[in-house]
Amino acid sequence: MNYIEVNGVKIELDEDGFIVEPDLWSEDLVKAFAKTEGVEELTEDHWKVINYLRDYFKQFGIAPMIRKLCKDTGFSLKEIYDLFPSGPAKGACKLAGLPKPTGCV
Amino acid sequence: MKKRVRLSEFGAAEKVLTPLSYSDLAPLPGEDTSQKQFKPVRPELWEKYDYSLDGFSALNLPIPKTPEEEAAIVNSFLAGLEKLFKKENNWAFLQPTVLSTEYCMQCNTCNEACPVYEASGRQDIYRPNFRSELLRRIYRRYFTPAGRLLGKWAGADVELNWRVVYRLAELSWRCSLCRRCASTCPIGVDNALLARELRKLFSMEMGIAPDAVHKSGTINHMITGSSTGMTRAAFLDNIEFIEDLIEEKIGRRIKIPVDKKGADIMLLHNAGEYMAWPENPAAFAILFDAAGIDYTLSSEAMGYEGVNYGVWYDDVQYARIALAQVQAAKNLGVRKIVVGECGHATKGLVTIADRLCVGDFAIPRESCLPLLEQITLSGAIKFDPMKNNFPVTMHDPCNMVRLMGIINPQRNVLKHILPPGQFREMPNAGTNNYCCGGGSGFAIMNSQNFPEWRNNLASRKKAQQVLEAFKDVLDPSIPKYYCAPCSNCKGAARDALMHHYGFRDKYNIIYGGLVELMVNAMIDVPHPFITWEDEF
Repeated sequence: MNYIEVNGVKIELDEDGFIVEPDLWSEDLVKAFAKTEGVEELTEDHWKVINYLRDYFKQFGIAPMIRKLCKDTGFSLKEIYDLFPSGPAKGACKLAGLPKPTGCV
Repeated sequence: MKKRVRLSEFGAAEKVLTPLSYSDLAPLPGEDTSQKQFKPVRPELWEKYDYSLDGFSALNLPIPKTPEEEAAIVNSFLAGLEKLFKKENNWAFLQPTVLSTEYCMQCNTCNEACPVYEASGRQDIYRPNFRSELLRRIYRRYFTPAGRLLGKWAGADVELNWRVVYRLAELSWRCSLCRRCASTCPIGVDNALLARELRKLFSMEMGIAPDAVHKSGTINHMITGSSTGMTRAAFLDNIEFIEDLIEEKIGRRIKIPVDKKGADIMLLHNAGEYMAWPENPAAFAILFDAAGIDYTLSSEAMGYEGVNYGVWYDDVQYARIALAQVQAAKNLGVRKIVVGECGHATKGLVTIADRLCVGDFAIPRESCLPLLEQITLSGAIKFDPMKNNFPVTMHDPCNMVRLMGIINPQRNVLKHILPPGQFREMPNAGTNNYCCGGGSGFAIMNSQNFPEWRNNLASRKKAQQVLEAFKDVLDPSIPKYYCAPCSNCKGAARDALMHHYGFRDKYNIIYGGLVELMVNAMIDVPHPFITWEDEF
């Protein structure tokens, strides 16, 4: 089993490093993930993306299409990659505590 | 190194039966494989899961720890194997399973037809008939009197142990079910069907299937309404987004019909299109609107999702999903179902469903490609081929082309929307085409080191074909379009051709569907629909 340690507590991850239990998400978890996903410093822009993803997930139970993420946050895909080097799905969604994408996407 | 493996030694206690290395692979033009190595598996994973077929894992099979666990694996496999050959248990594919098991002449013509076998440097274990012959010999050994008594003297020389079972399980997920071998066989033996029936045995009897296909695939599909997890609310939100996208592209708003009772057609897209390639459903909406097609989408759970992963591995999961899709069409009272640009969804609903959809479920079900041809030939939409003035090649999705023979409609469309000289066929185009490498679930199986196997072995022949088709225009100053009218094929194009082989960066090749090219050529669409910039 994979774990990430946040404030001395072990949180279970799936084999791709996403958290298994979405309720265990916290801002401290984001800070811990930032180190493993190549985010050097969490800025306001990072939080804008993370909060958008979390709000969308709360409403619809799924990550938004990437096109919509870009449009609604005003960041281009390149800018998303600059913020989250492992990309919108494997990076941004992971930090936001969303499950990994499924289906033919 | 090419390794000869005797069938009777398939269960040998070797750590890895056929270890692969980059130097075995057939290199592409300009590809230097000499310094490359497959990523080593982490020791803790190596201890836990079975990698003993070829060093890769599609299934995360935990290595048994006790003799009892080992015996349980063998017994469970035998119970499932017996069921494959009984009419009470195999309602879907009994006859072709029996025929393909009984009638192979061992000519091995199928070997050279297989893209995986060729790309691997002709490793024995990937021969289409290697897998089938294992199945035949095990069946004979354990279920025929001659095999039980005479063993190898009766062509029944494979003794079961847990390694044979687990390696065979992994091996059933090293074939993309493209059926190129079946179309080559002089007597019609279908090795891909046997691979699929093995997967079925593993799933339905032993609960063994890749997570992406089963747990987060068909199970997730039936819980949320879509394999993507897209609920009805998310679907409707995406439709609104696509209406916005259309307005931006063509300068006017189109209302996409949803749940329109009594429409002529229910259009069924692979839901991955909404999530990853929204231009595709957008392009369908623009074309159908312009051509005056009376159609609707369904917002019912499972009515807005065209995929049916059961096609690849499990008859029960398959039937549950297919019936729900047809039920959604019945609820809307449409005259027929048209499946969008998705190969396995087309196969699932148009061909296999014939065994399910009888009586009041016998709603006509069709591929979108002939309809797109009719729209083009009807003259209802005016096209300017010069708007598509760039080289284009056409990928033939195995399920629509080799299986169903839909070859010319998409080509007739291209004749009307491309200027002369810009369309180029790949070598072996049509029914003899090669799989994209993403077929049968491979495109979505991204766990462990499986993607490395898929990109390097399953997609390699396709990569070679694409380079061959564009060989006179590889210069990156010339933009090129790889047209793949199938969602899984697009996923494989993105992950293997673009990211792994770097075709976009090296050669300026982009990929997309057929309808995007059609809309790009429409005279009434003021701006280019294909932008060449976005990559999602």
